[in-house]
Amino acid sequence: MQRRDFFKKLGTAAAVAAVVPTMSFAASAPKPTGPNKMDFKTAVDVITGGKTPKKSSKVKLKAPEIAENGAVVPVTVTVDSPMTASNYVKAIHILNGKNSNARCIDVFLTPANGKAMFSTRIKLGGTQDVTAIVELSDGTFLMASQSVKVTIGGCG
Amino acid sequence: MAQTRKSLIKIKPKRYKDGEIVKVSFMVMHPMATGMGKDKKTKKIIPAKYINSVKFVYNGKEITHMTVWESLSVNPVFTMYMKITGKGKLVVTYTDNTGEVHEKSKKIKPRG
Repeated sequence: MQRRDFFKKLGTAAAVAAVVPTMSFAASAPKPTGPNKMDFKTAVDVITGGKTPKKSSKVKLKAPEIAENGAVVPVTVTVDSPMTASNYVKAIHILNGKNSNARCIDVFLTPANGKAMFSTRIKLGGTQDVTAIVELSDGTFLMASQSVKVTIGGCG
Repeated sequence: MAQTRKSLIKIKPKRYKDGEIVKVSFMVMHPMATGMGKDKKTKKIIPAKYINSVKFVYNGKEITHMTVWESLSVNPVFTMYMKITGKGKLVVTYTDNTGEVHEKSKKIKPRG
């Protein structure tokens, strides 16, 4: 029994010794933060002005499920809308879940576009959700989101 | 060294008629540095340099404007649709966070 206890103690001590230095290092050297730091919730509040966006099948977000390289992730947002002068898509916002700045791009469309579609390429720091929030001309907010698995992070 | 192209406007399909809805893509050669990454050799933080805003103006009328943040990829592409309403000029302007302004224009010639 004594021998067994000794090995148990040795094991826990070794585990603690292995964990503690990495923890202290992480605490002493915080990651540099970008100039426009904003987390996901405040970004949504800023865009919608306190309203909660509804999930809708009208908004289609196309992004790869697995992105090998997080530096270039193609994202396409399509909205089912007639795009007439009275009923059109006012804005498309593309957001990410975990980057230091949650906002990627805000696109403000007009009826002269003809079709409500926008596509671009974004950077993702790790596996996270990509969200599209769409503002219609009558003031309602719709959203769609999809998780993207990133094998190599693309930020920094 | 060969001079590199800074930006490019592509319209698809290449031949279009008046009143048709066409796909317009605007590509920019831009570093889009977030201000968080480090240079691997000098170990110094690369200062932030990213596009702030993009504007699409067709015959003096603004079609689309965008507010851009640093989470966009290096050499970004902006693609959207546009309705052709007669002969004219499409002018795309982007502004940098360092104050750099770049303008690119393309003539619009509908056929048939």
